Amino acid sequence: MAMFKNITIGQYIPGTSFIHRLDPRTKIIAAFLLIILLFMLRSFIGYGFAALFIFGIIYLSRLPIIFVLRGIRPLLIIILLTLSLHIFMTEGTEILRVWFISITIEGLSRGVMMGLRLVLLVMGTSLLTLTTSPILLTDGIESLLKPLKRIGVPAHELAMMMTIALRFIPTLLEETEKIMKAQMARGADFESGNVFQRAKNLVPLLVPLFISAFRRADDLAIAMEARGYRGGEGRTKFRELKFAMHDVYSIVFVIGFVLIISLFF
Amino acid sequence: MIMIEVSLCVALAMVFAQFKLWQMPNGGSVTLQMVPIFVLALRRGGKASLTAGLVFGILRMMLSSHVYYPLQGLLDYPIAFALVGVSGFFVKSPKIGMGLGVTLRFIAHVVAGKVFFGHYAPEGMNQWWYTLTYNATHLIPEIILTLIVIGILMNRRDLFELQGQATKMG
Repeated sequence: MAMFKNITIGQYIPGTSFIHRLDPRTKIIAAFLLIILLFMLRSFIGYGFAALFIFGIIYLSRLPIIFVLRGIRPLLIIILLTLSLHIFMTEGTEILRVWFISITIEGLSRGVMMGLRLVLLVMGTSLLTLTTSPILLTDGIESLLKPLKRIGVPAHELAMMMTIALRFIPTLLEETEKIMKAQMARGADFESGNVFQRAKNLVPLLVPLFISAFRRADDLAIAMEARGYRGGEGRTKFRELKFAMHDVYSIVFVIGFVLIISLFF
Repeated sequence: MIMIEVSLCVALAMVFAQFKLWQMPNGGSVTLQMVPIFVLALRRGGKASLTAGLVFGILRMMLSSHVYYPLQGLLDYPIAFALVGVSGFFVKSPKIGMGLGVTLRFIAHVVAGKVFFGHYAPEGMNQWWYTLTYNATHLIPEIILTLIVIGILMNRRDLFELQGQATKMG
């Protein structure tokens, strides 16, 4: 099926580097701190340090740098737009004038800064998803949301639903492909016509897909109840998250780094 | 357990989100990702569809990283899709509910766009106009297609009959 080629859910690249082995909670917290830092920075020196930090993580994670830079591609137009709008529309000391367009120092520095902020933000957050599998990320979110249980946030249930959804995406993708082929063998046409006709033609695919998904849900629910599933209280885990010494060092380092850079730059 | 049905619908929505009927040059794309949320809304009501929207939004946010500003990320993913799930609360008039759901999602994206441009673009540019047109170009076709498909699916009784033995919210 041409439509199903090149489908990857998420961007996780497996590995065994120091960054890969960090606890997901450490990485989520570090990513948050980095985002906060990027919004506090006011000088180019600060951005330089932030970039150094991100490239340091890329080096430690042993990821090909191209994977990290790939995340920026969809942003290219927005970055260029941001840059040019700032350059041409900010008033201040003129350094160059072409006909009615004037370029100012203030505009140039502000535009470059905004562009840098976007690039570093995307690189920082994609490093999190590149080095952490979605399942571990979910476990990390569950564990971090646990304190919010008191105010009624169903952390365990949300994480459970995310995990099950992640588990069934490949299954349902396969199922979609199978039903598609079956319906095409019966003469269904999914590829011709305008976009409205194509959407309408998808109905013979959607109905069996929904029915089979609901049947699967029912089977799974019965299987879980038969095994005594009754929510988060006292449930044990196959994969336990462990906050190790290297996580403590990393967190302390990131907090220290963010504090120093945001205070001085 | 309704929770499992929610999960499977989220998985279906994730599959549909990959299945681009039409790709815009500016990054937006037209998919049927909202259809499973609506089917769930019709089957199980508002609480289930709201949860499904929320979980779907969180997963999309986790897996795509189109987050350029914290508030923009929240508005573009979890909030936008949770609002689609609001449609499930209109049990008696599902069509009005769905209309409201898609409108609320549209508003969430427009506000997210405003937050983004408000932060990254200089003063003086007409940000509301830009975010409105940008979002309208891919969201309006998506909304129309979703409503056409769900309109056809609504006539299929077998999709909404509950034969599930376990019906409590897990």
